[in-house]
Amino acid sequence: MSRDAILGRVREALSVETDTHVREVVKKSPHSLPVLANGPDGRTQAVKEFLPSVGESLEEHIAAFKVLSDKLQTEFIVVPSIDSARQAIEQLRQKHEWERVAVHNHDLVQTCVNQLSVEFLDTSVNYDAHALEKCDVGISGCDALIAQTASALVTNHSAGGRALSVLPPHHVVVADASQMVTTMADGFALIREKHGDNWPSFISFITGPSRTADIERVLVLGAHGPKKLTIIMISA
Amino acid sequence: MSQSTNPTTQFQTDANRVTADVDRRSFLRSSLRGYQKTRTATQERFLSYESARIAAGDAKWEAIENLDVYLAQFADKLESRGATVHWCSDSEEARSAILEIIKKHDAKSVIKSKCMTTEEIHLNELLEKEGFEVVESDLGEFIVQLRDEAPYHFVFPAMHLKKEEINTLFQEKLKSINTDDPEELTMVAREVLRQKYLSADIGISGANFGVAETGMISITENEGNARLTTALPKVHIALMGIEKIIPRLEDLALMLPMLATAGTGQHLTCYNSQLGGPRQDDESDGPLEMHVVLLDNHRTRLLADPEQRDALRCIRCGACLNVCPIFKNVGGHTYGTTYQGPIGSVITPHLRGLKDWKHLSHSSSLCGACSETCPVKIDLHHHLLRNRRDAAGKGQGGLAEKVLMLGFTIVMRRPWLYRLTGRLGKIGHVLTKPIHGTRIDPFYAWKKTRDLDDPAKQSFKQYWKSRK
Ligand code: SF4
Repeated sequence: MSRDAILGRVREALSVETDTHVREVVKKSPHSLPVLANGPDGRTQAVKEFLPSVGESLEEHIAAFKVLSDKLQTEFIVVPSIDSARQAIEQLRQKHEWERVAVHNHDLVQTCVNQLSVEFLDTSVNYDAHALEKCDVGISGCDALIAQTASALVTNHSAGGRALSVLPPHHVVVADASQMVTTMADGFALIREKHGDNWPSFISFITGPSRTADIERVLVLGAHGPKKLTIIMISA
Repeated sequence: MSQSTNPTTQFQTDANRVTADVDRRSFLRSSLRGYQKTRTATQERFLSYESARIAAGDAKWEAIENLDVYLAQFADKLESRGATVHWCSDSEEARSAILEIIKKHDAKSVIKSKCMTTEEIHLNELLEKEGFEVVESDLGEFIVQLRDEAPYHFVFPAMHLKKEEINTLFQEKLKSINTDDPEELTMVAREVLRQKYLSADIGISGANFGVAETGMISITENEGNARLTTALPKVHIALMGIEKIIPRLEDLALMLPMLATAGTGQHLTCYNSQLGGPRQDDESDGPLEMHVVLLDNHRTRLLADPEQRDALRCIRCGACLNVCPIFKNVGGHTYGTTYQGPIGSVITPHLRGLKDWKHLSHSSSLCGACSETCPVKIDLHHHLLRNRRDAAGKGQGGLAEKVLMLGFTIVMRRPWLYRLTGRLGKIGHVLTKPIHGTRIDPFYAWKKTRDLDDPAKQSFKQYWKSRK
């Protein structure tokens, strides 16, 4: 079969070792910090030690998240309590005149939206994509907020499936400050902890509203996905 | 693009034409200057970008040097999650595997998110011939598809077009309003494509990485089109080259920022999604079937080269194109390849044959800007030299080159003859001065694009003697 044929060719190709000169070129560099151990640990460490630093404390993380969010045009709102998160969402509803809101079966999301007088679409169970397309906003939870990149890490479990966070023109994420982690590697570790070997079929780092610069490098938000991304973090 | 059969002639013709278009070249340059500025700023935020490059390069070395193990692990994991893996030796096999899936589902329309590998196997031509509607959803790809053109740059497919040209195109093909505002143009495309996502039966995507440990593909994008392509249609087909593997999930935490920084200058691209299988039992949406089509198409031939397998570590960020003086002057279409620029020049001779594509090894000034910018430290400019060496070694240089090299060897081995030639050369230069730049100059063709300075009064040898 093709599998064996291809793997056979790969094995045969690899029976000759890589030219040491070519391999050497990669190692040598006058500008680099001491090279970390090869392999996975070295690389996870590299993310902390070589990529941009965002400090250790929650305050530093929030500050870094804020700076990048401004650049990305993500609306990042830090509120002191669940009550104020509910108010923030109510204000957003008024401002953007939401009528149809997509949500999912998620404790924090449900607590934050149950006061809204709008039509709801629940995407935690089989739903109609055309109905989702007509929603003004999708409100979801997340697995983590990543300080180093100002991303919301979601899976289809934490975000009501694959489409809720990308099909409506506005995506709102509600999160708790305890979900803030330093790097993307920390984010993966959280999902690993939560799901073990039974990975969700969809994981995504959402970093700002959808964008394109394909026409003359001019930045346009909302290419295909949401034009607006709001992240509400409760820091009680 | 001229449709010449011989790639070398086509390159030369197109290069001449494009380099003469000063306006377009300066347009290209100014856009690449913008890229450079953003990228520099992002890179400067790193604690050590140089070390991060080494670590990222290391991850890809580990993957490539153990590709047999990781590929098998990747496929097994994916299958255990309910996906189907298709192993395809060449374009033909990949095309028929994909066609079979589409036919089996009685599909009518196909939506695609950006995937260079589908360009490599000419998938769109086939599907359109078979009567399917195929829509490219990435904005840049959508534009070049409407123009019936190949992507100009594998990261910025429509970078050569001005907004006025896109306006004309949209008015003509989409009957859209008259506007050359990039935002309004983008919204025109958004509206057209929205409906396509909802109605398409099949979504086809590429993959930027294949995670061996967990059996997931990872897709990087800014627009959200790949997310929609892999969320709404009931079947998802992902086509990926076998070299896209990385060992572990956590490696993405390093590779994704590196790809973004080098590729567009962003610290991270808007959506970085990992997909491992179709919709699972406890999930409410997503495709019912996921097919991953693994493509060899002579990648194993490149892998068998102990020097140049290095190039399989490429993460297709496109940075080497952006800094390449040749790319800036001849543009993307001139290459006539799926992958343009330095990386394209290195790998195309391996993927499509050295004989027809060796001229690409000369489309380099050997300045080394590509190797210096590559986020995984591929030794690009030396590989171009190695390709030249290999072409020469196989006697593919042609008769003129052979005669020239023979003459060179004879002269260089005989000091008296070398001295004599030097003197004759000087005399010849002075004597032919009146005809320089005219057509009767025997070196007209060579001098047409070059200035030949007067030789120095004193040769190096004379200088060396006199200084003692
Ligand atoms: S060779 Fe390096 S710089 Fe060029 S596209 Fe590949 S990874 Fe990027």
